[in-house]
Amino acid sequence: MIADLLRAAWRTPGGRAGLVFLVFLVLLALLGPLVLPDPFQQFDLVELQSAPPSGPHPFGTDQLSRDVLSRVVNGARVSLAVAGIAVALSVTLGAVVGLVAGYLGGGVDAVLMRLVDGAMAVPRLFLLLVVLAVASRVPLAVLIVLIGTTGWFATSRLIRAEALRLREETYVRAAEALGASRRRIIFRHLLVNTAGPLLVAATLGVGDVILLEAGLSFLGLGVQPPTPSWGGMILDARPVLESAPWVGIFPGVMITLTVLATNLVGDALRDALDPRGA
Amino acid sequence: MTHSTPRTAASPVPRPRLAAALTALALLAPAIGLAQSPGARSSIVIATGGEATVPVPTLMEGPHATPANTDVADQLFARLAQLGPTLITTGDRGFEPLLARSWTRRDSVTLAFDLDPRATWHDGMPVTAADVAFTFGRALNPAIAPRLARLLRRIASVTAEGERRVVFRFTEAYPEQLYDAVFHVAPLPKHLLDSIPADSLETAAFAQAPVGSGPYRWVRRVPGEFVELAANPRFFLGAPAVQRLIFRLAVDPEARLNLLLGGEVDATENIPAPISNIARVAADKDLRIVTVPSPTLGFLLFNQRDRRNRDRPHPILSDPDVRRAIGLGLDRRRMVRAVFGSASEVPFGPASPILWIRHGTPAPAGINLREAQRLLAARGWIDHDGDGVRDRGGQPLVLSLSAPTTSAIRKLMVQMVKEQLRALGIQIDVELMEFPVYIERRTAGDFDIDFASTLQDPSPTGLSQGWSCDGGTNFARYCDPAVDSLLTIAARATEGAGEAWHAVLRRIEDDAPAVFLYAPSYLYAVHRRFTNVRIRPESAWISLREWTLGGPGAHRPTGD
Amino acid sequence: MRRWLLRRALQSLVTLAVALVLLFLLMHVLPGDPLSRLGEGRPLTPEQVQALRDRYDLNRPLLAQLGSFLGGLARGDLGVSIEYARPVTGLLAERLPATLLLGGVVLLLNFTVGLWLGVRQAVRRGSAEDRWLTTLSLAGYATPSFWLGLVLAWLVGVKWRLLPPAGMRDPLLEGGTLTAMADIARHLVLPVLTLSAVSIAGTMRYQRAALIETLRLPYILTARAKGLTDRRVLWHGWRNALFPVLTLFGLWLPILVTGSVFVESVFAWPGLGSLAATAVGNRDYPLLMGAATLVAGIVVLASFLTDVAYGLLDPRVRLS
Repeated sequence: MIADLLRAAWRTPGGRAGLVFLVFLVLLALLGPLVLPDPFQQFDLVELQSAPPSGPHPFGTDQLSRDVLSRVVNGARVSLAVAGIAVALSVTLGAVVGLVAGYLGGGVDAVLMRLVDGAMAVPRLFLLLVVLAVASRVPLAVLIVLIGTTGWFATSRLIRAEALRLREETYVRAAEALGASRRRIIFRHLLVNTAGPLLVAATLGVGDVILLEAGLSFLGLGVQPPTPSWGGMILDARPVLESAPWVGIFPGVMITLTVLATNLVGDALRDALDPRGA
Repeated sequence: MTHSTPRTAASPVPRPRLAAALTALALLAPAIGLAQSPGARSSIVIATGGEATVPVPTLMEGPHATPANTDVADQLFARLAQLGPTLITTGDRGFEPLLARSWTRRDSVTLAFDLDPRATWHDGMPVTAADVAFTFGRALNPAIAPRLARLLRRIASVTAEGERRVVFRFTEAYPEQLYDAVFHVAPLPKHLLDSIPADSLETAAFAQAPVGSGPYRWVRRVPGEFVELAANPRFFLGAPAVQRLIFRLAVDPEARLNLLLGGEVDATENIPAPISNIARVAADKDLRIVTVPSPTLGFLLFNQRDRRNRDRPHPILSDPDVRRAIGLGLDRRRMVRAVFGSASEVPFGPASPILWIRHGTPAPAGINLREAQRLLAARGWIDHDGDGVRDRGGQPLVLSLSAPTTSAIRKLMVQMVKEQLRALGIQIDVELMEFPVYIERRTAGDFDIDFASTLQDPSPTGLSQGWSCDGGTNFARYCDPAVDSLLTIAARATEGAGEAWHAVLRRIEDDAPAVFLYAPSYLYAVHRRFTNVRIRPESAWISLREWTLGGPGAHRPTGD
Repeated sequence: MRRWLLRRALQSLVTLAVALVLLFLLMHVLPGDPLSRLGEGRPLTPEQVQALRDRYDLNRPLLAQLGSFLGGLARGDLGVSIEYARPVTGLLAERLPATLLLGGVVLLLNFTVGLWLGVRQAVRRGSAEDRWLTTLSLAGYATPSFWLGLVLAWLVGVKWRLLPPAGMRDPLLEGGTLTAMADIARHLVLPVLTLSAVSIAGTMRYQRAALIETLRLPYILTARAKGLTDRRVLWHGWRNALFPVLTLFGLWLPILVTGSVFVESVFAWPGLGSLAATAVGNRDYPLLMGAATLVAGIVVLASFLTDVAYGLLDPRVRLS
């Protein structure tokens, strides 16, 4: 099913552009650091402080005379890893809660959905702000878990609606009649059939998390330096926006392109799932 | 499917005129001529990073001890006297009279002040000795003002003698009695505060619209935007020429700079890093840059004790030659230039630019790699295994350097230090941590090298806190009897105090308990139409009442 | 009808209560209490921190704290800001109008320009223009709002000096209401542009999808078959497509609120967003908590109101 969806997405111009970019980005994140200089290395603090793009440093250097290209590429690694893990977490949570609520229905459903309603009443950024602003020190792993656990509410609603629909389907009825356990029905039959919407949610979720991490970094609460993340790089670049624009433009452009790509692919996937809107 | 949509359907959709019209309207707005008031030229708008919350003496404690509060309070409330241009804090001379017209010393522990009879509160009532006594009654009470009470701990009593004379008694004889009496707290109006219990003053109406005795009076606060003050026409030392004073809030440093460079404000506190911003301000022909000594001192503090066992000396850093070698291995001038620009200096000893004792000190040693290498080799630190890091008896020369993540300047410099010492065969492991963790480790002595940055009071007596054996902030457990005795001599010296303090600095510089990295100047920007501009290190805008309007330029350029 | 309203109102209250308890628990989920970071950059003695802890109830058990928080909320008391030394409710009330103004203008723009562009796209679905508009609006959505704001403030405000780069009004301006309004309008342009650019994609896409859906409905096809002009057909279709789009009002609100945190900071706009950002910087937890509470309240209220509007217009909703 997923392969079919991807194939369908590939057939649209937007989806193809997005997929090509995302594959390129993943390859870059995986292979780039092997050939580029160490992203922490400082070349010459006075001579190469915020130096404009040149042969050895095609994207220029930053305030600490570090290679911007190398940091952008290593930042792709960090940003993609943060987004990937956090989204995997939130999609899993969303799927489990949605399927359980939708399939079991009744009191479980009512309670879970009231909780989800409540959580959705507070914008995700504010949920994270109240945690991060008061915490003393947040390691990267905890940050990822926090981002992941605050991102599943909408997904769970979506999947619940799917589960409500699916549980009336004949094959589910048949499985029930054959005495399959609830767990088996949820994870064997329902999960497989919600893979499409989950893929859409995950794709769009990656873009959202990248934007969110950038926003948190802007407030000084994101990935902590010297670890390069795109959001953190923009924060570092803010004061030199005018005098050394290259320090911030490249990570900024990467954020925009990546989020754009995930949205194009997400849209194409959604249209493939539900062709009426195309 | 597409062709089922009629081609001509575009016609019912409005053309993009709406958007264009909206944009045009918005862009035209400045041209419609939003005239500024005729008084704009004689007003000053200062961009600040913080909002004044309770700009009232004795309330600026704990979370309210902010520069924004001090800036406003210093305009609203006049002190008894202020520091002279030399910033000398000792003795009874060198201060300029304000509320107190004169003062006389009765004995080594008693000072009497005579208030200026012309001085009045903004409501017209005279400033009296009872007001001063009332204020110190609150300031000396640790339950009300713990910070002030600690600073003023050597004031035994403050009593009014009649309407105009107030007498300070001190617990002991020391050279900074006058400084303590006038610098830390300005008098409050007793007649308005008598009826308000001390612990509810913070939430009283007075705190939201304070009445003082200073050159400016309170006008209004527009929440989140600005605080407006107006010149007090009855100020007893002469009404200020600058008629309106507005502290305009822009928390974000770039937004402040944008307001300044966009011509929306007239002045800003310390131009934010990096140094390329200085050139941007300098390029604006309407603005002048004013260099001001800062109270900031940045240094690498060497732990004298083993971080794991505080009873043992530090295995590497208890050796003064290693400490000296680290100092000689750093090109401090180059680092300061790269971070602060050419207006800042490398300090000699622990003396920030605000300390008067730094005048006449020698230049600190420059980088000397050969000498640094010689010192290390002589102490047995040689790279035996050829891995680029010196070692001795199997122990590599590896030190950790801790700094808080909240300081942009220290984060920048940490990287510089690490790279330079690597060239010397010293491996630095950088530990950046959140501020409370940093403070906790520092207080517990859990560090090798601590990247410290302190804000100093104008008084040099604060030095004993950090550098004497039993100093309250001596987290490195540095203990040198020579430094201790020199500090004691200097703190008691009434004559030749400068020389005595220089001896302290020389000894500390020589024994190298720390490498003193930077003593920056702050760069302020002010519109050129203001003349006689003086910005004071201890409180930036406190001399504003003496500024004049002789310079060129309308309030702000229009129509360009 | 009344029973339906009542039930819906009750549901909203439950939602809000859940949200508040969640916020409260989140604030305590990580080790270190809300005051542990307060000492940053301020001369606070341990005794002062202890006194603040007592004052903000942090020495009491978690449930008791939650109880006093909810109890205070019921009385309209959100505590006292650490930084401002004033009641949080008062501070929020002072800052709310600026945010409502900014958000209101952005919503207006999204609902006019956004809807119009969406209609255009739906009508020319599949054309190059449709694709370009989709990509452009998505690119706006994909750009960090603060980044766009920084660039606009510098370019338009500093380099070209066309508009004020920050703030909401000129503190020295004198004149009548009209002048003051013109001044605020001038200051509004850049923040509104920024916030619209990053949020207009939502309206456009919903409008586009809804209209495409509607144009395919039997009655439209019938109308067309009956020979109605294209213009009339589109008008019918649009009126019906507008309906689901308007009800998404509640959904966009969180996006606007989130965006306002960044946009207001960049443009020093004196609203709730910049207040929240300041509270984060100052570790002013009663204020931050108060701002989050207010935001949750607004979101719940907005979704309640859209539901009510929907219910009033479409009786079928009330039955479900």
